[in-house]
Amino acid sequence: MNITQSLAAGQYAASRPATAPQPGTGGNLAAAAAGFADTLAAGEGAALAALRGADDPHALVTALAQTELAVETAVTIRNRMVEAYQEILRMPV
Amino acid sequence: MAGFADALRVSASGMEAQATRLRYLSENIANAETPGYHRKTVSFRAELGPDAPAGAVRPGPVRLDPAEPERIYDPSHPLADAGGYHAGSNVNLLVEIADTREAGRSYEANLRMFEQLRQMSAALLELLRR
Repeated sequence: MNITQSLAAGQYAASRPATAPQPGTGGNLAAAAAGFADTLAAGEGAALAALRGADDPHALVTALAQTELAVETAVTIRNRMVEAYQEILRMPV
Repeated sequence: MAGFADALRVSASGMEAQATRLRYLSENIANAETPGYHRKTVSFRAELGPDAPAGAVRPGPVRLDPAEPERIYDPSHPLADAGGYHAGSNVNLLVEIADTREAGRSYEANLRMFEQLRQMSAALLELLRR
């Protein structure tokens, strides 16, 4: 019994590094999130400028379409990631 | 997604250019009866600068049509010369209306392109949702 327990603990310790986040992925995701926030801010700025009459409505439409594209992409990717995470959580241990 | 974003901006630049053209066409039509008015024409050029995507269109400088203005016989007009003639504008309404139609159609084409791009991006993301 004792041997099995220590074996299990050893196995657990050995497989822990596999679940550690890889250094490359986090940076890429952070950059993508920053780009997404930039696009949103640009869309808001264009909307404000158009309402003030300072900007062309075409610029507003372009900015809003790009914001829509960015939000849809971000939401879809987030949904996929959450789904994958839940799939892992449902895994029988 | 950069391709979609760039294409959206190019389509919007086309719409903007046609709107500028329509603005000068309306000026020409409004001044069709103005004595001595020369009609304004706008040329388009492709954008090469770093701040816009390559291939975007932007209106070039406004030029005046050098054609001689029409001479109108009306001795009672305050601008009439000794012979009773005065200079009208060189605006031909038929040309302006045809130009307006062309600008409208071109705007519509850019609008359809914009719509198509949005549909395509939506369809692409729909693929991920399943």
